[in-house]
Amino acid sequence: MEQYANQNQILDRLIICPKCHTIHEKVMIEKGKSAVCKNCKKVLYHYDERILDKGLALGLTGLILFFVSNLFPLVRVEMLGHEQHVTIISMILSLFENRFYVVGVVVSFIVFIFPTMILLVYVTISWLMIQKKGKTLTKELLVLLSKLLPWNMVEIYLVSILVALVKLIGYMQIHFGLSFWSLVLFVLLDIYISKSIRIGELWELRHRIYDDR
Amino acid sequence: MIDKHIDESTLLRCPICEAVNMDHEGDIYCHRCDSRIFRNPKLTTSRAWAFLITALMLYIPANLYPILASEQFGSRKENTIIGGIILLWEEGSYPIAMIILVASVLVPILKFIVLLYLLINVKLKKHRYTKLDQHRLHYMTEIIGPWSMVDVFVVAILTGLVHVGTIRVIAGPGATAFVLMVLFTMFAALSIDTRLFKERDPHGSN
Repeated sequence: MEQYANQNQILDRLIICPKCHTIHEKVMIEKGKSAVCKNCKKVLYHYDERILDKGLALGLTGLILFFVSNLFPLVRVEMLGHEQHVTIISMILSLFENRFYVVGVVVSFIVFIFPTMILLVYVTISWLMIQKKGKTLTKELLVLLSKLLPWNMVEIYLVSILVALVKLIGYMQIHFGLSFWSLVLFVLLDIYISKSIRIGELWELRHRIYDDR
Repeated sequence: MIDKHIDESTLLRCPICEAVNMDHEGDIYCHRCDSRIFRNPKLTTSRAWAFLITALMLYIPANLYPILASEQFGSRKENTIIGGIILLWEEGSYPIAMIILVASVLVPILKFIVLLYLLINVKLKKHRYTKLDQHRLHYMTEIIGPWSMVDVFVVAILTGLVHVGTIRVIAGPGATAFVLMVLFTMFAALSIDTRLFKERDPHGSN
């Protein structure tokens, strides 16, 4: 048994680049610096003391922005005196009304359910780890988080809104709603979160918080 | 190099928590997050094949059936993916035509080619590229894959937004096939066993 524990300690000193699978030995780095892969220059980890505070603050901000994005119309179009607007929810509902159930279910998971879940998980993990509570719960949430992240496509959704609107230019007058701008902020925040909070670092922090006592 | 007791070629990266694990016979559970990260490679490889073939078959109706239908003053016009791109190009919106072309045509085809290549490579055990290049190709398909959702989202937004007066835009049956195709290629990419990416044969590839 002891031999296995030893082996895992040795393994934990190593890191494999997610992009090119080069094996590295972890080195100590200064505060604010990042360690990059020597082969493909992908950032492997960085030293950030406030990663949990960041997770909590950015997660809560993201939840507020996403809530606002769902509250008001994204865009409003006008044509020959007729007016129509769309919200994230009304877009999903109109797919169901037109009996596109498969597309409706997939789109609602990707643009509504998964983003909300990811933010809630970030907030809960950060809060639990700051409080040093919930050893098993943080583990389960971290596993859930890395299964959810490949399905996070909000930035692709934003690009799609712009593509759809460009298709309508010339036919209709287009007005951006409040929710569109909060969605832009939300996407920028989401990109920042995924760049600054790495799953591997959260796991290491979790190990230091719960196992070193 | 790293440690005399550890063979570097048996080290694996946990896809869930990024911890480094050792390769061994049977199911592998990550020592850090306890997830079952690798299973019998025969099982996962045939599953990857099944997902990929399903996706390839779905790509046919996705292109043959209209992805979008528009009704204007009582007349109905239907557009397939390719038809929509040609229409946009003729109307002069080149950037949008290019985005749709890349996202809905080039990305899926590129993904099919790369996944087929990796799976055939694993099957024939002839590795013309290095292990690192195979991992890079696999990483690339995971990054570019979701971008093929652009057309689906565009169709969803137009369906929700455009029912102004007598003008209406709704999704077409091609959209359902297309969204399933994207899902199955993502499942296929996720189920390829990266342990089977081996170093290039030192005695030449033939």
